[in-house]
Amino acid sequence: MATDNYDVIIVGSGAGGGMSAYHLTKSGMKVLMLEAGRDYDPRVETPMFNINAEAPLRAVGTPDKPFGFYDATVDGGWQVPNEPYTVAEGSEPFIWWRPRMLGGRTNHWGRIALRFGPLDFKPHSRDGLGYDWPITYDDVAPWYDKTEKLIGVSGANAPQNLLNTPDSPPGCLMPNAPPRAFELFYERAFKAMNIPVIPMHVAVVTGQMEGRNTCLFATPCGRGCAIGANFQSTTVLLPPAMATGNLTITTNALVYEVDLTKDGKAKGVSYVDRKTGEHHSVTAKSVILAAGSGETARILLNSKSSKFPDGLCNTHGMVGRYLMDTVGLNVSGQFPHLEGLPPTNDDGQGTEHTYVPWWGYEKQKELGFPRGYHIEIGGGRQMPSMGLGGLVKEDLHLTGDALRQRLREKFGSTISFNGRGEMIPNDDCYCELDPVTKDKWGIPSLRFHWKWGESETNQAAHMVKTFTEVIEKLGGKPTGKVERDGRKAISKGGEMIHEIGTARMGHNDTDSVVNQYGQTWAVPNLFIMDGATMVSSPDKNPTLSIIALAWRSADNMATIAKQGAL
Amino acid sequence: MSTETPEPYVSKIDRRTALAWIGVVGAATAAGAGVVVYGPKMGGDRITRGYGTDPKLTKPEKAPWSRIMIAEQLQTAAILADFILPASGTAPSASSLGIPDFVDEWVSAPYPDQVKDRPVVMNGLNALGAKLRKANAADRAAALAALPASTDPTVMAFWKKFRGLTIGAYYTTEAGFKDIGYIGNVPRTVDPGPSAEVKAHVQDALTKLGL
Repeated sequence: MATDNYDVIIVGSGAGGGMSAYHLTKSGMKVLMLEAGRDYDPRVETPMFNINAEAPLRAVGTPDKPFGFYDATVDGGWQVPNEPYTVAEGSEPFIWWRPRMLGGRTNHWGRIALRFGPLDFKPHSRDGLGYDWPITYDDVAPWYDKTEKLIGVSGANAPQNLLNTPDSPPGCLMPNAPPRAFELFYERAFKAMNIPVIPMHVAVVTGQMEGRNTCLFATPCGRGCAIGANFQSTTVLLPPAMATGNLTITTNALVYEVDLTKDGKAKGVSYVDRKTGEHHSVTAKSVILAAGSGETARILLNSKSSKFPDGLCNTHGMVGRYLMDTVGLNVSGQFPHLEGLPPTNDDGQGTEHTYVPWWGYEKQKELGFPRGYHIEIGGGRQMPSMGLGGLVKEDLHLTGDALRQRLREKFGSTISFNGRGEMIPNDDCYCELDPVTKDKWGIPSLRFHWKWGESETNQAAHMVKTFTEVIEKLGGKPTGKVERDGRKAISKGGEMIHEIGTARMGHNDTDSVVNQYGQTWAVPNLFIMDGATMVSSPDKNPTLSIIALAWRSADNMATIAKQGAL
Repeated sequence: MSTETPEPYVSKIDRRTALAWIGVVGAATAAGAGVVVYGPKMGGDRITRGYGTDPKLTKPEKAPWSRIMIAEQLQTAAILADFILPASGTAPSASSLGIPDFVDEWVSAPYPDQVKDRPVVMNGLNALGAKLRKANAADRAAALAALPASTDPTVMAFWKKFRGLTIGAYYTTEAGFKDIGYIGNVPRTVDPGPSAEVKAHVQDALTKLGL
C-alpha cells in the first residue's frame, strides 16, 4: 500500500463518505476508503420478499438484531461486539446505533429525505437560541437539487410555499405513489385542525429514472434493496466511484488516529484490522473523516500529539460538544371506522406517502416551546408480524372462528403517529473519551453525556396532545396507556439515530472545528464530511443534508486540490 | 379442536413419544403440508448461543439453540394452539402449521425477552398438561375453556402469552396471510393506490365522523 499514491483517505463509507468518494473519484482524485465494517453487497444479501415465518423467532428483534432479523444492519445495533461505549453517571440515557458494514447506516435508514429550510440555518437569529450556521439555505439549495436528482427522491408536488418547508424545483423529485386508505383517512382530521398534509420526500425511485430500477412497491426498505431502487451508498454512490478506477476500498479497517507530519499537516491515518488485530498506517495527501458524528469525534479525540494534547482540532475543547439528536415520540391509535375495509395492498413505496410538516412557526410563543416537529405516520395492512396478537388483546375470550373474524376486521385499523422534532444544542449533551473503558484493541471508548432541555420535553408533551386529539377526531382510541409528561414520553438520547454536531462548522477557529466546507481550522488538509459538522438539528431527518453538504464540501476540496493548495 | 380424540401432535423431535402419550398409534396425520420439520433432537451438550450479529438473511438457517420442550409439552401446546385456532374452512389448524415447534423455538431461545417468557409458558403447559392427560373429552374441553375465564393471574399470564405467540406465529405464514387478507409482498410495476371500493369505505367513515 505504501507504493500507492493516494490523494485522499476517506474514513467511512456511508452518506458522507460515499458522497465524497463519488465526487472526488469523478474529479480524478485517487481515493482510499477505509470502512470499519465488512464488505457488503445489497444485490445478493438483501432478504427481498422473505416472510417472517422463514426467520428465527418470526424475525422479532433480539439483542443480536435489535430492529428485527431482516434489518440490513450487520454486526451492530445498540451495541457492537468488542466496541463498548459508556454513559456518564448522572446522565440521562443515551444509546448509540452503529453498524459494521460497507455503506454504514445508509443500508437500513428510513429513506425520509426532507430538506432543511431557511430558518433551520439561522435559528439563533430567529429566536436567540442555539447557533446560526455560517451558511444559508441558498448556499445549500443547488446541492439539494443535485443530490435529489442523483440519489432519486420522490415527493413531487405543486409548490406549497409553506414556511421553512422548501419545495424542490421542478425536475428534482418523482411523484409519490398515491396515498393509501389510512393516509386518506387521517388527512381529513389534520385538515380540520388547519394542519397541512403533503407528500413525503422519500429516497426511493418511484418512476422512470435513468440507470436505476423502479421500486417494486413491496418488501420493506429497512432490509436494503437488492435492485437498488432506494438510496444506499452501496448501490448508488460506491459502484460509480469504483467504475472510475480511482477508488480503493479496505474493509474491516477501524481507524483510530489521524497521523500528522512534523509541521502539523495530516499525513494519513492509523487503523486496526478488526479481523486480525493488526495495526496499519496509511498515507495520503489529505484525509476526510466521515465515520459518523460519534466515531469521527472519537478519532479526533484519540489523535493526541504535543501540538494537540487534548485531541486533534480540540485546542478550544469543542470536539464532541454540541451533540444533538432528534426528539422522538410515538402514540398509536386503533380506529373502529377503519375496520372491515376490503383487502387492499398497503405495501406502498417503503415509507410514508404523505406526512405533516411543522405548522406552528408563527405560534411558538403561545405554544411554550421554541422549535417544531413534523409527523411521520404509519399504518395500513402491513405484513403481519409477531405483534399481531396485540390487535385482540382486549378480546381475550375469543378463539376459533370468532377470533379469526375479529383479526380480519381489525387488521390494518391502527395508525401510529411519530413526532420528529428539533433539538437545541445544550451544554449537557456531549461526548468525550472514557478515562477507563477501551475497545478490544485498547483504543479509548466514547463516554456520552445527555440531558434533554425543556424546549424538547415541552415539545414532546405537545406531540402527545396533538396525536391524542387527532386520534379522538378520527373516532379512535390510543392503544395502551398514554404518557402525557413530556419528560417521560420523550425518546432516549441517540434513539432516533440522528446524532450529529460533534465537530461543528462556523465562521472562525474560535467558534467551531471546521469551516463551511468541512475543512478543519487546525489542519488544512483534514476535512470532516459527515453529520458532525452540523450546527443545529432541525426536525428534518439529516441524511439528505449530510449528502448535500458532503457533495458541496467535496467539490470545494477538489477545487482546492486542483489549485495545489492541499 | 377435536376434544373427542385429540390428534396426536407429530413431534419432529420424537414422534413415537407423542403417539404413546396419546395412546392413539396410527392416527398420525397432523403433520400436513407446511409443517416445519427440524429433525431429531440430538444428544450431547445443550447449545445456548443465539444466531449472532451477522446471520445469513436471504436463506435463514435454523436457529442454533437446543430445544427444551419434551414431547408431552409439545402435545399440550398442540392441543392448546388448536383450541385457539382450529382448522376452519380452507384455513389450516395451528398445529398443522407447526406452531408448537415455534413455541419450542421461542421458549428455548437465549435472548432476554424469550428467557422471560420461558417459565410462563413452560409452567403453564405443564399445569395444563396435567389436567388434560387423564381427562375425558368433556373435562378436556372444560379445562381449555376455563383458561380465558381464569381469575388466577398466573393462568391468565400464560393464556395471554401463549395466545399471543400462537396468533403471531400463525399469521406470519402464507396461510395466515390468506386468512387475514394480507395481499402484499408481491412485486408490482406501479402502486395504483386504493380501489374505488376502498376509497368509498373511507369516505363513508369520514362522513360519519363529520370530517
